[in-house]
Amino acid sequence: MEKSIESIWKNGFLDKNTIVIPKLNNLSNQKSIHIIDKFKRRFKININALIIFSFIILVISFLVKIQIMGVLIFILLNVVAIINKRLLKGLKKIDKNVSSYRYLKSFDAWMQEQIAFNMKISRYIYPYVSIALSSGFWFSSSFQKALDSLFEGYKPYITYGIPVYWVIVTLCIVILSAIFGARIYKWDLNLVYGSILKKLDELIKDMEGLRTQ
Amino acid sequence: MSSDFYTSSILPYSGIIIKICRAYTDSQEDFEDYYQEVCLQIWRSKDNFRGDSKWSTWIYRLSLNICLTLVKKKRKTHQYYNTENIIQNELTEDKTVFSDEDLSLLYEAIKQLSEVDRAVILLYLEEKPNKEIAEIIGTTPNNIGVRISRIKERLKKILNGKIN
Repeated sequence: MEKSIESIWKNGFLDKNTIVIPKLNNLSNQKSIHIIDKFKRRFKININALIIFSFIILVISFLVKIQIMGVLIFILLNVVAIINKRLLKGLKKIDKNVSSYRYLKSFDAWMQEQIAFNMKISRYIYPYVSIALSSGFWFSSSFQKALDSLFEGYKPYITYGIPVYWVIVTLCIVILSAIFGARIYKWDLNLVYGSILKKLDELIKDMEGLRTQ
Repeated sequence: MSSDFYTSSILPYSGIIIKICRAYTDSQEDFEDYYQEVCLQIWRSKDNFRGDSKWSTWIYRLSLNICLTLVKKKRKTHQYYNTENIIQNELTEDKTVFSDEDLSLLYEAIKQLSEVDRAVILLYLEEKPNKEIAEIIGTTPNNIGVRISRIKERLKKILNGKIN
């Protein structure tokens, strides 16, 4: 009697030797390269996005006549882009001709260094952004007109030429953004690179587990 | 990958991954490359698993898609080779050989099917219900039922007289 294809399949795989699981050669190397390449790509895209965004802000600020804010933000974004380009150079220097564990550890060390650095400058960046926005809007004639039309006959409280309430509110925001700048950066970082950093962490733990076994 | 991600989440399904990779490759070298690529892609994409389907269903779907992509890529690369190289390549390809002769013949017959039919029959032989096969392939269970009958007929014709 002719065998059915179902029985050939079932009986054929009854012998466990029929299924020999191939060795996974170099899998951790491929994963390391994949993670770091993905990070590099995203990092480069973000730097370029910062530069493009700075120009867009600049043009828009001139169109809506809040040039002060536009110029200040333009300068800031370009400074951040230049700093991060320098940091990226450090990443390119990491030696690839080492084991994937050492490669990942070097990358992790670079990552921690750049996180620490960016957290430090974030304490100044966010207050700077607050001041740029505040002064930009204050000196903008179109914003003043909008305030006038919104609150008819609005007269800001000004002493010695200083808009007191406006300055107090701005100062509060500046202080808060200086205090929480590092945390805002961390939140932002997790939003953009969270998945990559998680994979990196898992991979390092995985390799450390293998090394101690 | 956590230290036991491969052991806990891929290894239990390695049987079906191996069977799928075997059906789409002609040499041991290609088979090992495909298996490695499938494992790597499962690890890369694991965060995309939303739990809408069973983990096993998701693994089957991913394995099939990766093998189909690799087959297409290989075909494209072959187009750049000259005829001499292709002939040489075909000569070095080895047939899937299992200790069970009938199984080897069945595999060779499966390889003669279209890529989609191969996927359908592999899942059928793995005793997956039509609903799950339909979910993996992206069609309706009724279509799968009809397709399976046709594929079995085709396999019978190919194997006619070869298996007793």
